[in-house]
Amino acid sequence: MLAKKTPLLQSFRSLVFRHASHLSRQQYDVIVVGGGHAGTEAAAAAARVGAETLLVTQKKNTIGALSCNPSLGGIGKGQLVKEVDALDGLCGRAGDWAGIHFSILNRSKGPAVWGPRAQLDRQRYREFIQSELLSTPRLTVLEGSVEELLVTEPNPEEPGQHRVKGICLANGNHPISASSVVLTTGTFLSGSLFVGQTTSPGGRIGDAPSSPGLSQTLRERLGLRTGRLRTGTPPRIVKDSVDLSEAQLHPPDSHPTPFSFLNTHTHCKPEEQLPCYLTFTTPGVERVVRESLHLNCHIQQDAKGPRYCPSIESRVLRFPGRRHQVWLEPEGMASDLLYPQGLSMTMPPDVQLRLIREIPAMHRAEIHTPGYGVQYDFVCPTQLSPALQVKSTQGLFLAGQINGTTGYEEAAAQGLWAGVNAARWALSMPLVALSRTESYIGVLIDDLVSRGITEPYRMFTSRAEYRTSLRPDNADLRLTLKGFEEVGCVSSLRYQKAVRVRDKLQEALAALEAIALSSAKWRKKLPGIHMSENKNKILTGMELLEYNDASFEMLASVFPDCLSPYIEFAQRLNIEAVYKSHCDLQKKEIERVQKEENMCLSPDLDYFSLPISLSEEVREILDRVRPSTLGAASRLQGITPAAVINLLHYVKYTGQKERGIHRNQPNQKEQGEEQRCV
Amino acid sequence: NKPTQNYIRPCYFLIPSRGTPLSRLLCNCDEVSAGLASADTIFALSSGHGRCGVAVVRVSGPASVTSLRSMAGLTGSLPPPRKALLRSITDPLTREVLDRGLVLWFPAPHSFTGEDSVEFHIHGGPAVITAVLEALGSVPGMRPAEAGEFTRRAFQAGKLGLTEVEGLGDLIHAETEAQRRLALRQMSGELGHLYQDWSNKLKRCLAYVEAFIDFSEDELIEDGVLNQVDRVVCNLQTEMEQHLKDKRKGERLRSGVQVVIAGATNAGKSSLLNSICQRPAAIVSPIAGTTRDVVETALDIGGFPVLLIDTAGLRDSLDVVEREGVRRARERVEQADLTLVVVDCSNLPIDTQQAAAFLQEHLKSVMSTQKQNNCLLVLNKTDLLPEEQRQNLDMELRQVSGLPPACLISCHSNEGLQDFLTALHGNPLVSTVIYCNRISSIKIMKCDTIFAIY
Repeated sequence: MLAKKTPLLQSFRSLVFRHASHLSRQQYDVIVVGGGHAGTEAAAAAARVGAETLLVTQKKNTIGALSCNPSLGGIGKGQLVKEVDALDGLCGRAGDWAGIHFSILNRSKGPAVWGPRAQLDRQRYREFIQSELLSTPRLTVLEGSVEELLVTEPNPEEPGQHRVKGICLANGNHPISASSVVLTTGTFLSGSLFVGQTTSPGGRIGDAPSSPGLSQTLRERLGLRTGRLRTGTPPRIVKDSVDLSEAQLHPPDSHPTPFSFLNTHTHCKPEEQLPCYLTFTTPGVERVVRESLHLNCHIQQDAKGPRYCPSIESRVLRFPGRRHQVWLEPEGMASDLLYPQGLSMTMPPDVQLRLIREIPAMHRAEIHTPGYGVQYDFVCPTQLSPALQVKSTQGLFLAGQINGTTGYEEAAAQGLWAGVNAARWALSMPLVALSRTESYIGVLIDDLVSRGITEPYRMFTSRAEYRTSLRPDNADLRLTLKGFEEVGCVSSLRYQKAVRVRDKLQEALAALEAIALSSAKWRKKLPGIHMSENKNKILTGMELLEYNDASFEMLASVFPDCLSPYIEFAQRLNIEAVYKSHCDLQKKEIERVQKEENMCLSPDLDYFSLPISLSEEVREILDRVRPSTLGAASRLQGITPAAVINLLHYVKYTGQKERGIHRNQPNQKEQGEEQRCV
Repeated sequence: NKPTQNYIRPCYFLIPSRGTPLSRLLCNCDEVSAGLASADTIFALSSGHGRCGVAVVRVSGPASVTSLRSMAGLTGSLPPPRKALLRSITDPLTREVLDRGLVLWFPAPHSFTGEDSVEFHIHGGPAVITAVLEALGSVPGMRPAEAGEFTRRAFQAGKLGLTEVEGLGDLIHAETEAQRRLALRQMSGELGHLYQDWSNKLKRCLAYVEAFIDFSEDELIEDGVLNQVDRVVCNLQTEMEQHLKDKRKGERLRSGVQVVIAGATNAGKSSLLNSICQRPAAIVSPIAGTTRDVVETALDIGGFPVLLIDTAGLRDSLDVVEREGVRRARERVEQADLTLVVVDCSNLPIDTQQAAAFLQEHLKSVMSTQKQNNCLLVLNKTDLLPEEQRQNLDMELRQVSGLPPACLISCHSNEGLQDFLTALHGNPLVSTVIYCNRISSIKIMKCDTIFAIY
């Protein structure tokens, strides 16, 4: 059953958004700046945790807009969507509501690396997100442009430590105060748009640029290191002008798989799904790119673009003489546009038209909106803690492209986690971190805050060392329980459901373990399974499931009494069996990592004066990165085993004494965070 | 049999604390430490390296019992805790008897590390030690200990006092330094090329597999990429197995402490080599630049295997051959465990204070400041100095700081040579020989096991 029954109805009503002068209060727990994927998840998560939350966005009707591709999920990204959903976030359910073409990528490979993905209806997605935010208690949405971030002067006792006070709006008279502020500015932070040789300030075509004040505060007041990245989007093509018979048809899965653990089916009926089309570039495309390079400002810039979502210019320049894929994707159920994935470009509009017409299926195509490039500021994410809080500014949280990532899913995942922690900070609860051993979100954040980025960061399954345990199918068991019991961002309805799943799966596993037969008997009962004849040993039902051609359904048909009650979990049990032996092996390693991650290094350590034996080089690395745990420290390049043991020594002995002092300070907030430290 | 106590004990093995009340208080350990300790089972040679009567191999962790049962043939009940028992020690796979020695069983928490531990007291020959370590490596769940790991576990279990722990970081540092030097040496050798080649192949396989899982079916990943990986892994596995069977390959890697003799031309480096070896291994002549290449001699100094390396005198030369010799000499100095810097003391300034400054300058020209910690100054040709100046020099060098230890000798008259040899084998660096050969073959075995799982 779909969790949300009537978003369409609600969307017909004009959403009740507030104007600054009509705000019911001038004081919030959490203010979220930005209404994209990170901002909406952050605002919703903060409100779920229990904080009075204000979402400030430039334009109310672009909340939940898909600025670039009309799709969600994919390899590595699908895991993020499942995890956001497991923590009761929005994007999974929104995807199920707005999806018009569902497919699982990598289905021919192991289920741990399956990539659930959907093409979306832009309008439906936006409507779902907007109505969801509207119906979230404790959440207010305000239309406005943030002029400035208000922070305190650094505390003289802790140099460089600021504290967030609130925000000031462009034409608001009064500042709005808050304990926490989450910035999710996307491409708007000092953003500039590029088409051909023209450049204009802005983060998205059609939207006003954001105020320079914010970026200035971050750099000058707070002294944050920033860098510049670029990205781009393709022109939108008029569907009727494309000769689709020249392209390969790619149908969706006949049985769409929903993203959300709450949904058993998608809003779109299987037979109503729309197809995608695959075409290829021609030598003519490469010629047009080369001929127009001098007219193309964006491509000549130094800022790093997304490696895994490159513009057509970078594709043909980097791999000349090849045929490149171009996908033609539907933009919505009723939309008359197509999205040419792989053709992001920044040349002048007339050249864009010439280029797309070099592709056979588009030889007469018309462009509805030309493609363009964006350059924007990001804040070097090593300046953040694993709670996504800026280390030097209490109460300031960053999420999404501002941290140097690319992709809706990466943004949503960070947004949710930043929102959770912003709320916890405001409510004086200890901040929380996710480990890379338990989730892709943990991998994403750990990679960002401990290694930093040199180019837009995209999630991949290969980034997660423990991917055989971090599967899309078990995200609820990994995160929903924790999300309710420890984090407070999960509704009790979802929690009850996950508890039931956990208990049923445990029962089913026990039932499978309880069935034990000799291989000869198994062969007799299930002749379809290829077991070697010469081995004769006792196998449990679970061990039998590890065979390629065995399935839970087969076992249930042989042992209906004890197994058929669990038939609804057949697929999950099959997957569990595939990875069981490998996960058992990995478990020890995971436990070791988790122990080291439980040993925290206080964020205000003065590494240069620590009275322990550390080389100057090691001290510099530690001072620059400020790892939050011993585990993070040991993963840093240049940290020697000797340094780790000395730090361990410090954490266990000296650390205890120092923390004793901290506890005596009147500062409640700080104590909150210190509690996390061992 | 020389008693082993004469040798400086290498790293891992701080003497277990009896747990004085104070250290107990400080080590008031929480759940974190208790949990951390229970991961893998580790083993290492805990007694000194080099020739010795009895060697102690220590095992710690949950699989200790398995090693005891499978290697000491204790299928029935375990021996009484902390009581020595004479057993035949066998290889768990081949059942071949490796040695006859004592086994001790320390059930948790009454052990050095606080975990289940076993000690094997075996005969000290390198062959026996190698065989026992390799046998342990084949027990499931066991791996060689990392630098300082026993002590780290003991520390986490609250078994060590504060002072004992403070020295730990430095010890581990020395150990990793020694490993780094060894790795540097291996990298340039034949074995280095082999390992590098394996490593490259594995990285390529990893890249293929990661590309395979990270890109979907229709993203032009070449067909059969996984089959290719299968083939490479299969070949690698065979290669490694053969490498393990060919024991000679492991021995070809020169084990022992590398002591490099370096210095200016005609300082008497080759004479020093010959004096230590007591046979003319290098050609000695009064003509500067006689040694043009590196001359190596394997020796046994105080029970430690030592590779003594004579190098070309360091000077700028126009001769191509000599220049190459000098380049190699500098390379060897960088890789050395210990460098003997030989100085002709008849060239020193007569004023002893100036002499110290002169030596400091000279050292800088021979090696980087960092390497100067691993160095011994040998002032040769004392027979050419007047007695009074020799004594003044000796006094001054004992007092001045910032210089490595110095020995005054004369290779001509053998004066001071005995003191020098004592200083040499008492040098702690000589004792940080690590048994990397054995470790690396165990690591290759583990690699092989992982391939089997793959």
